Amino acid sequence: MNRRGFLKLATGGAVGATLLQAEACGMPLRQQKVAKVPAPRLEIPTTCDMCVNKCSLIAIVQGGVVKKLNPNPENPKSRGMLCARGNAGIQQLYDPARIKHPMMRTGERGEGKWKVVSWDEALDFTAQKLSAVKEKYGPQGTLWSSSESFQEQFFRNLGQAFGSPNSVRHPTLCLASVNLAYSLTFGTVPSFDVQNARYIIMSGANRLESFITPDTMDLVASTTDRKARLVYLDPRFTKTAAKADEWYPIRPGTDLAFILAMLNVIIGENRYDKEFVSTYCSGFEQLAEHVKQYSPDWAAEETQISSKHILRVAREFSDAAPRAMYYAGRRSSWYRDDFSMRRGQAILNAIIGNWDRQGGMVPNAKVELGELMFLPWDDPTAPRVDELDRNFPLAAKGDGVYLRLRENVIAGQPYPVKGWMVYKQDPVSGIPDQDKTLQMLRQMDFVGVIDIQMSDTAWFADVILPESTYLERLDPVEMLAGIRPVVVYRQPVVKPLYDTKPLLEIVQGVAKRLNLSQYFDYTMEQWIAEQVKALPMDLPLEYLKKHGVYSSAQFPKYGTTLTPDHRFVTKSGKIELLSRRLQEAGYDPLPIYHPPTQVPEGQFRLVLGRHAFFTHASTTNYPWLNSFSTENTLWIHPKPADSLGIKDSDRIEVASGSGSIRIKARVTPKIRPDCVFMQHGFGKHSPWLRLANSGGSDAQLLETAWDKVSGGAAMHETFVKVRKV
Amino acid sequence: MTNRPKRYALAIDAKKCIDCKACVVACRAENGVPLGKSRNWINEELRGDWPKLMEVFEPEQCHHCEEPACVRVCPTGASYQRPDGVVAINRSECVGCRYCMIACPYDARFFRDDLGVVEKCDLCARRLDRGELPACVETCPSKVRIFGDLNDPTSEIHQILEKRQYRVKKREAGTGPQIYYLL
Repeated sequence: MNRRGFLKLATGGAVGATLLQAEACGMPLRQQKVAKVPAPRLEIPTTCDMCVNKCSLIAIVQGGVVKKLNPNPENPKSRGMLCARGNAGIQQLYDPARIKHPMMRTGERGEGKWKVVSWDEALDFTAQKLSAVKEKYGPQGTLWSSSESFQEQFFRNLGQAFGSPNSVRHPTLCLASVNLAYSLTFGTVPSFDVQNARYIIMSGANRLESFITPDTMDLVASTTDRKARLVYLDPRFTKTAAKADEWYPIRPGTDLAFILAMLNVIIGENRYDKEFVSTYCSGFEQLAEHVKQYSPDWAAEETQISSKHILRVAREFSDAAPRAMYYAGRRSSWYRDDFSMRRGQAILNAIIGNWDRQGGMVPNAKVELGELMFLPWDDPTAPRVDELDRNFPLAAKGDGVYLRLRENVIAGQPYPVKGWMVYKQDPVSGIPDQDKTLQMLRQMDFVGVIDIQMSDTAWFADVILPESTYLERLDPVEMLAGIRPVVVYRQPVVKPLYDTKPLLEIVQGVAKRLNLSQYFDYTMEQWIAEQVKALPMDLPLEYLKKHGVYSSAQFPKYGTTLTPDHRFVTKSGKIELLSRRLQEAGYDPLPIYHPPTQVPEGQFRLVLGRHAFFTHASTTNYPWLNSFSTENTLWIHPKPADSLGIKDSDRIEVASGSGSIRIKARVTPKIRPDCVFMQHGFGKHSPWLRLANSGGSDAQLLETAWDKVSGGAAMHETFVKVRKV
Repeated sequence: MTNRPKRYALAIDAKKCIDCKACVVACRAENGVPLGKSRNWINEELRGDWPKLMEVFEPEQCHHCEEPACVRVCPTGASYQRPDGVVAINRSECVGCRYCMIACPYDARFFRDDLGVVEKCDLCARRLDRGELPACVETCPSKVRIFGDLNDPTSEIHQILEKRQYRVKKREAGTGPQIYYLL
């Protein structure tokens, strides 16, 4: 805001106060009449970072202030939309709870005593502490946790160049089981062509509240304009359920029984795509034999979905093939045998022949980007602390297995880990079993956090290195593989408001002090220049600066892998219905059903999910979003609520084997009587996140359990007791 | 539909609304609407009982009526109708008497304590004048709202209202509401 305008308005005291408030909330200020020449209204294309979808947007900037974020229709993935969170990106930039300077802890961890320090001091301290850990425990004594961003690679590279094998990322809290299951079946993880599908089955993939672009938008358009059929299984009546043609409140943990019975029907009635299966798949005979035991009547008992419906859905599904799909979930960290369920889905999709077909599954296409060559470092020599080779031989090495890793670090096995660098991740509020995360954190000699806001993890850190937000940052160009691959560009729309830095500069600052500068001897501009060289145009950078996104009209392409000589990236070169790699690793090569643990008498199964206006645990403190849900509640069905004497809005205590919280009840028929549900991202410790201090944290309740093949956290295996307080 | 050269209106395909709140936040950002108030909102209705449930979501905002009761009762002329049909408020003329809030059949107006004036949706008049869509229309992931000129036979809204059945809310209020809910 310009100073003259402010003084003019500030003459009315009340109005001035309101404006200050408005500024604090990041609201665009009205144009001031006194400004004779209004600042030019700039429209700057860039890329959203409020969740993982990377939607293209156009920032409206006037006088150095971001006034509005509009969708950029040029991106075929985000399809001209910007969701509630994207619109609230302004509040991330102008958030009063941002970390505005480097800070170091002066009191005990978590006591909240901080001093503002210079970057030199913060970086010196970080490097000294990392060196001290290295000296005592070796480089493997440091742990490097990060979540996805366009700059994350620099952080991971620093950890590796430092010599640590211990990086841990988010997939085992999210989609590791899906990724592994589809990779082992098809040799790759495909996208789903929701836009052209005629029949879609979703198991607890609440796609209308948990946005994935373009699937969310396509799902609405497909089911309304094009009359695709949506069959939806979920213990909870979500917004996706509200839009589904059929909703079945399936007994939690039995989705694989539903899938196996579908396989039983489709194979038993010869409804599979014989030509496709004989040309492209291996292991069909064993599969056919294996699923004979799983009849619809049997599955009806397990799932509590009548066999009549299972039979009909199986027939309709195969009739609609290849424009039919059993849609893969995204956060698939549910049960101890989650991987088997995802393999079942992949196999079901395979035998109806929807692979690489319009309206089915399509292997992701790519746009080539160039790469800057930098000096390589020696690979870390120590084994990973989570002992992946022994515990999860098929899991993705670079991602690690979070919960297993935490167990080992707490136990000091196989070796001590005493330094923890965290980037853009909030393990304290984001990971099941918070007491254990705090236990892991407490045994560290050093905890350094790079973030934009005072997350719960930052609150317990020794040093905080503040990153600039996405609206202030130039990032590497990012290619998003998909049915329509796109290249997105993120450029700063305003100068950094505070004493913050982009991650690359933070990494370079630490690297210099650790004598690792030679591995980071480049600038962001040089990095980007190499990347965009590969784009098929004369002035690629100018194009991206102007458009914010590049995509090619040659997509979508279907059927590129449908030639009999195509080799899938599997052991046999075929789509593996029976997986040889699973067999060799000592796992079941075909998915075998194991019934879920029964809900103990008087308890409930805790299930998790999302609202469209929150991103995991990270946006609950932004007022524009928080206003839709100022605290989280525990959804409980009227029947058990009644017998427990719980009325809507009553304060209740929820207790599991890991912890207990107090929260308000929401009595609603939108959930199975044997389950309760709560939203993620509340009950935070950090007083800076005042609006998210309300309600309770699911991380305190969730117990430690994981899927045995992928290592994905099993977040629906916790049972809770509920009582009125 | 009217003898205006232009008649802006909204068609709303509520079946496509997933209650994601993008329109509400986009409006707040575009128009500086303070927390606790809103120029647009989403009605939710849950029917039935477990497990036979049904839930509908229906976005709503000012209906930009052809015969706006709010304009009729406004003593200062602050509430007015533009030639393109958009009902707007001239803040500098508003004395905050709030007659219009009582007159509006849709409860689409609210009082701003901080400014002492009444406020409501003006279909982002500033954006319209720049040739842009209203923020709620543009930002929507599932493209629930169709905005356009009813009098332009080539417009999407004109064509969709010729093809599809629709209803308006509270027709009996006699104000000629211009949000057409597609059936």
